[in-house]
Amino acid sequence: MAVTITFPSKWVDAATLEKTLRTFPGPHESQDTNIEFVIPAGSKIMIDASTRLLSLLNQLEDTSKRVRLIFEEGETGVMGYLNRMGFFDNLDDRVDVKPPRPKYSGAEVYGGMNTGLVEIARIDHKKKDKALPTRLTDALRNGCKHRADVEELGGAAWTIFAELIDNIFSHSETKLDGYAALQVYKQGKTAKVAVSDSGLGIMETLRPALKQAAPKLAILPEVDLLVEIFRQGLSRHGNDRGCGLKGSAAKAVKFKAELDIRLPNSRVLLVPGLQGYRPNTAYSYSSLPLIWGTHICFTFPLTQAQSSG
Amino acid sequence: MNENSPVIRLAQFMDGSDEGWGREQGRAVYSRLLEFVESQPGVLVFKISLEGVRRIDISFASETVVELAKRFRGMKGFCFVDLVDPDMWENWEAAAVRKEQPIMLRTGATLRVLGPQPNQGLADALQFALKRAQTRAAEFADSVPKMSIANASSKFKQLWQMGFLLRQELSANSGGIEFSYYRIG
Repeated sequence: MAVTITFPSKWVDAATLEKTLRTFPGPHESQDTNIEFVIPAGSKIMIDASTRLLSLLNQLEDTSKRVRLIFEEGETGVMGYLNRMGFFDNLDDRVDVKPPRPKYSGAEVYGGMNTGLVEIARIDHKKKDKALPTRLTDALRNGCKHRADVEELGGAAWTIFAELIDNIFSHSETKLDGYAALQVYKQGKTAKVAVSDSGLGIMETLRPALKQAAPKLAILPEVDLLVEIFRQGLSRHGNDRGCGLKGSAAKAVKFKAELDIRLPNSRVLLVPGLQGYRPNTAYSYSSLPLIWGTHICFTFPLTQAQSSG
Repeated sequence: MNENSPVIRLAQFMDGSDEGWGREQGRAVYSRLLEFVESQPGVLVFKISLEGVRRIDISFASETVVELAKRFRGMKGFCFVDLVDPDMWENWEAAAVRKEQPIMLRTGATLRVLGPQPNQGLADALQFALKRAQTRAAEFADSVPKMSIANASSKFKQLWQMGFLLRQELSANSGGIEFSYYRIG
């Protein structure tokens, strides 16, 4: 008996990933130990969905589920792209992949040569890659070079990535690695930067402290509390440590980036408004299948819009 | 108090790196800064130079100079002397706001506060104090119609407690305790 989760044959971003997962029994919650993910021909997995999927697959193997990933188009389809992005380099060895994983890592062979992407980088708790925020920043600046404010964007971007990645080192409490990656989508005119970890998630670390310090906030539904975290910069260690996340969001909103956050059971899409981020409720969900950790993606427009949103 | 204040070149405390990233590195740098400051017991004001520091994130800012200022609030003060990069400025400010710890910034003749700003009731008193190397409550009271010395004294005391000013005890003519208030930087 296996749970089979089939992806749609289209572009799969974070929102589509959630829609897909919601239509099947949650993989973590399922009694079945065998979980199969089927990627049909025409399925194009975007970077925000890839890092979340990667985290989910590694989490499932870590909890002794037997995981299988089936690419119906073989290496010519999205499997080739994922290889180029370093997906298989970071995938738990025990995950069964059909057809068999490529022998050579596209990321290793071509890594760093395409300035429109940053291959999935492992965020290893034992060893901080000091150059990672700079690599992501350089790739973002390159992708956004037609923006008049590209210099300001570059300055802000380094702080955003540094804060998000440092949070993984400081807050995660897990032995599973985190991931960061960037992809420019020329046709969609956006650059997506995804940072994922498989730790406890912001909520789990935050709520106990909030119960004492701000009980009214502690009982808010996850989505609402999340919006407040970004508005007020709350933190489990007292207000002074929440500044990193709020600071990142405050910088990103100036460049009209969308911010999407996936937590263990919910997802919020924050869109830039006149007074900072506001939730896009149509794309914010609660009671989602469990994915451990905190998964953040900023989507930057490659060009500056003429009018404000 | 501000004359001959030593300059802390932050880059020298960053172990060869020109980038300040994150809490862990921040804490390591903080220990070195703390050791240095404690080795200068008679010094009450320190200038901070960012020469050689390419960039810092908010967490690093929070764990280093801002934490240092908070640790010594009311006893010692810290003032940036060459902060020009807009991103760095924004990050120091964000960290200072979050920790509710003001840090001074000197740009030529102008001395400004990074981080939390005093409320309206205290803003005038602070501006008065920042224009002078040192001042007393009586001087501020004299400058404002119907301001009592007690009121002026209370404002300066609050500014000192919040970290905007330093102070030293004087013996008042009346035999009571009076304070001289100093700007930082």
